[in-house]
Formats: sequence, C-alpha cells, structure tokens
Amino acid sequence: MAKVNLGGKEMEIDEDGFIQDPEAWDKAVAEDLAKTEHVEQMLDEHWRVVNYIREYYLKFQIAPMIRKLCKETQCDLKHMYELFPSGPAKGACKVAGLPKPTGCV
Amino acid sequence: MGTKLKVEDVSKPSDPLIHLDPADLPPLPAPYNQPENIPAWPPLTQKTKDAVEASLDDTVAVGIPKPKSKAEEQELVRKFLSGLSKLFTKENNWTFLQPFLLSMEHCAKCQTCSDACHVFEASGGNELYRPTYRSEILRRIYYKYLKPGGKYFGKWAHGDIDLNWTTVARLAELSYRCNLCRRCAQTCPIGVDNGLIAHEIRKLFSQELGIAAKELHEKGAALQLKVGSSTGMTPLVVKDNIDFIDEDTSEKTGMTIKTPWDKEGADILLIHNAGEIMAWPENPGAFAVILEAAGVSWTLSSDVVAYDAINYGLWYDDFMLAKVAIKHVQAAKKLKVKKIVIGECGHAHKALTVVADRVLTGDLNIPRESSMTLLEDIVMSGRIKLDPSRNDFPVTLHDPCNMVRLMGIVEPQRRILRKIAPKFREMTPHGVYNYCCGGGSGFAIMSPYNFAHWRFNVAGRKKFQQVLNAFSDDLRPETKKYLCAPCSNCKGQLRDLLFHYNAFEKCGILYGGLVELIVNAMTEVKPGFIEWEWH
Repeated sequence: MAKVNLGGKEMEIDEDGFIQDPEAWDKAVAEDLAKTEHVEQMLDEHWRVVNYIREYYLKFQIAPMIRKLCKETQCDLKHMYELFPSGPAKGACKVAGLPKPTGCV
Repeated sequence: MGTKLKVEDVSKPSDPLIHLDPADLPPLPAPYNQPENIPAWPPLTQKTKDAVEASLDDTVAVGIPKPKSKAEEQELVRKFLSGLSKLFTKENNWTFLQPFLLSMEHCAKCQTCSDACHVFEASGGNELYRPTYRSEILRRIYYKYLKPGGKYFGKWAHGDIDLNWTTVARLAELSYRCNLCRRCAQTCPIGVDNGLIAHEIRKLFSQELGIAAKELHEKGAALQLKVGSSTGMTPLVVKDNIDFIDEDTSEKTGMTIKTPWDKEGADILLIHNAGEIMAWPENPGAFAVILEAAGVSWTLSSDVVAYDAINYGLWYDDFMLAKVAIKHVQAAKKLKVKKIVIGECGHAHKALTVVADRVLTGDLNIPRESSMTLLEDIVMSGRIKLDPSRNDFPVTLHDPCNMVRLMGIVEPQRRILRKIAPKFREMTPHGVYNYCCGGGSGFAIMSPYNFAHWRFNVAGRKKFQQVLNAFSDDLRPETKKYLCAPCSNCKGQLRDLLFHYNAFEKCGILYGGLVELIVNAMTEVKPGFIEWEWH
C-alpha cells in the first residue's frame, strides 16, 4: 500500500488511488483526489455529487446506486462523465473518499 | 521477438519474462486500425515492481507482496508443493480429481488447443499464453517433485523444471491470464482441460497459501458471506435500492411494480447478481415487469447472501463455492419455493446448477433453473404482448461461456431474439463456439495496476473484433446498435471494453441484457424502455 500526500496529509492509497481510511477524508483531500481524476477544479456541481455520495456512504457504508445518485443530484450520466471522466463509480466515489467499489458493478 | 520462450525459463529470474509489444498484436477492424484510435497502454510503475511480484509479463493481476526473506520464500514453495500433492488425493480433491488427473497425464502436446484460445491468438501467439505453457509448468513439477523417482526420471521423460519462488510466484500470476472459458477443452481430441488446470492452480494458491485476487476473495466472496453481498449491500440497503428501482420502473413503464420480498410459498425464488441492482437497475426492473405481466408467482429473499447470486468461489476456491451455494439453497428452503431461478449471470448459473450439484445432496437438492428458459416460456407462450417493431435496430448476442459452452443453454435466448428483434444477427463464431468477452473468471471486476489494459488489449481483443464485425454493415455512430449480453460479468467487461475504445461515441454500440430488450418490445409498457444513453 503506497503513501501519498493528499490535502497536506500522509494518506494510504490502494493501487488504483482510492484512500484506505474514509474517516481521514476532508475537502482538501477531495480536491487533491480530484486532480488525480483529471478534475482540475472542483465546482459547485462536483461538490453536489461528492457530498451526496459522502452522506450516503456515512449512512449505509456503501456507495449509492448510480441511478439514484443521478436522480438525487439531478445530474444525468452523460454529464457525470463530463464532471468525472472515469465515471461515477471509479471517479466520483474516489473523490468522495470511498473505498473502491466491489462486486460485479 | 528474441528466442522462443521455453517452459524451463519460468524458473529463471528475469524482469519480466516476456514483453508484449502492442504492435505485435493482431490488427483490429476499422476504425481501430488507425493508431490514433487505440488508447495507450500504461506500463507498470517502478513502485509496483518493487512492491509486488511482477516478473511475468507487463501487468499484474494478483499482486503477491514480495516475500521479505529467503526463509519466507522457501516456506511458500514448501506450502505450494504440499498443496499440489493434496490436489492429487481423493480425500482432498474428490470434486475435480478425475478430470485433473486426466488432464495432467494424457496431454499429447498436439497444440490443437492453442488455436482455440482467444488469449493466445490475441497476444500475437506469445508462448507464455499458450494454454499448454501453464499446464506444462505444473506437469513438470508434478513429475519431477511428486512422482517416485521423479528427480531422476521425471526430467528426462517430461522435461526439466526448477521449483523455486520465481516459478511459484509466476505460476500464481499466470493462473490469472486465463479466462477459464474452456474453449481449449472443447477442442481437445482427448478431453484435456487446460482451463481446469488453471482453475486448480488458483485453488491451490487460495486454499493452501492464502493467495487470491482480492476482488474475488477479500472484497468478493468473503464480503458476500460477511455482509450479504459482494457489492457490500446489507439486507437494509438492498431493500432500499429495490424500492427505488420499483419506483423508477413504474414511472418509466406506466405499470405498477412492487417487488415481492420473502414471500413464503412463492413458486420461484429469483436471485440476481447484485451488481445488476447497483449498476444496471433496469435489469432487475425489467425482470419484475415481465414476471408481473406474465402472472408468475415469485419472490426475492432478503437473507444474507441470498440476494446476490454471485459465487466467485467457482473461479478460485471450492470451500467458498460450497459455502455460498448452501446459503442460496437454504434461503429457498426457508421460503418453501418450488425452485430457484438465476438471473442474468453466467458464472452463477454454472456454480449453483452444475458445480454445486456435488454439494447439494439430500434435501438440499432443490430444483435450480436458468432465467433463459423461464423467459423463453413466457415469451413463446404469448403470455405477454410483444411488438418487435419497437426493437427495430441491429442486435447481436454475446454468449456467456458458463451458460452456453459449459451448460448448453444455446437456443432459448435465440428463440426470444428471433421473435422480438427483427435485426438480430449472429456473431461469428457463436453458440458453444463463442469467444469469451475477456472478462471471464472474474477479470471483469479486476483492474489493479494496469491489468485493465491487458483485459482490453489481449483478453477482450477477440470479442471486440467479433462485435465490430457483427455490426460492420453500419458502424456509423448515428445508427444505434445493441450488444445483448445476458450476464453481469460479461456486461461489466463489455462496458469497460466499449468505453476504452469509445465505441458508443465512435460506432454507436451500446450493450445491455436480454430482459431489457423484451420489455422494450412489450406493448403494455410505455415505448422507449431502452434509453440509448451510455451507462
């Protein structure tokens, strides 16, 4: 497991760049994670998506369904890919500090 | 390329054993015959090479942490050899001993299998990926180190090999360069099964050395047994998600859909691959629409494990397979259903209906059926009204290996498509002679380091060619085309593959399951169930 500096902190990440300790996440960490996902600047609509994922995760310890995420944040999938080029599961969830999605998703 | 790779080279440290040059790979059809349409293949980083065993090829699937000492290496080699000897005993391997022994002792090395292997072909015929290369390593170890007198006679009769940590570490990785599609076994004139040998190697590593791809074990089967699903969904979350799907489906179709949970005495317990619920909710939604419209008595189970049909143990560990299969059947017994029906998931089909048959004896042996035959009954009986003109776009069918080649479920899905999809065309070859999507045996969910690029460039290459060829009459992006794949794992691979080559934008190729096509043709449903959006 590699260690990198994210948001001014030493953070452990897995081989795909997902942070290992979701508790240590904060906005500065998210901004640095976004850069690894080719998101140069986190705009309001990025935050709306990330915050929704984050809140859902804290409640259920899992990422929301993609369709639910799109509906709740009023951001269709096409736009989601524009915001996070590697998509909601691999991109947006990573920025929101979640572990890598598991199972056949 | 330099001199031809020999079997004994696997024991000699070098970094890496082979190098794959994308320029050596067979060309793809247009528009992917243009270099600018082929995305780059990132190399492994030095950091990765320092941390994990990465001396096989240009990628890493398992990523075994490098042993810290010589003693640790020797201990792993010892465990490997003792594990290997257990594979040859009835007490420890009664399930697979017979075909395994046959495959180990009777290969005539005719290489008929090599021509059948999509990985070998797509690698430009690289020796490392020849189906017999991996088997031959194991075979030489077996003859030299396990047979009486092997140290003296084994190497002369069967070729030499040096059993050291380099050999063992490479063999672990190499067992994850095969999709276990068993096209090689199908073509072998004497029934040698190189896919099974790859499977037995994975099993040995998992059961005896605790080494397995973490997506399959730690984050897969083990997570499923712990919280209920490999996706991480607990019973509470899965119910909440299905509620959302019901609402969404009702809105979309104009029908009122309410998925039944834990309905005692229902005829059918339907088990989806839970990945469908998370990533392709239109699939469980479409199942609900069809079953409700046809008046089928059905239910889902909210028991831990029983709402996720996946059984990754099929690919790497017999114990995990048995534990999951028993949970599936116990849920069915508890609900007193007549049978279990498995959703659109190929490996779940084979795990629960065929392989688990050895474990599900006595009163655990309750009927298990494919959703393909159930859907065929519904569609062909006329119980739902269908308008094929709603599916007036080119459709081709991917045959999931587990369901089709390995179980013989060939025609039900085709009879459905011929009835509901006027522009259905077959791939070449198809049916039991299909090619794997390249995601088989769990690769679809494995993307560590740069492994996804190996999946796209090598494992998935043949399938991508087949898909492009099936639609070659009109590859314009404005003509929307549907690649039907009734299997979650295949869908995951095809999604990643099409996305990698940007084939939806460039060629208009979308993918999806079978039930979505059926619902798209149902007259009592609002038109436009398939949305033609990338997902």
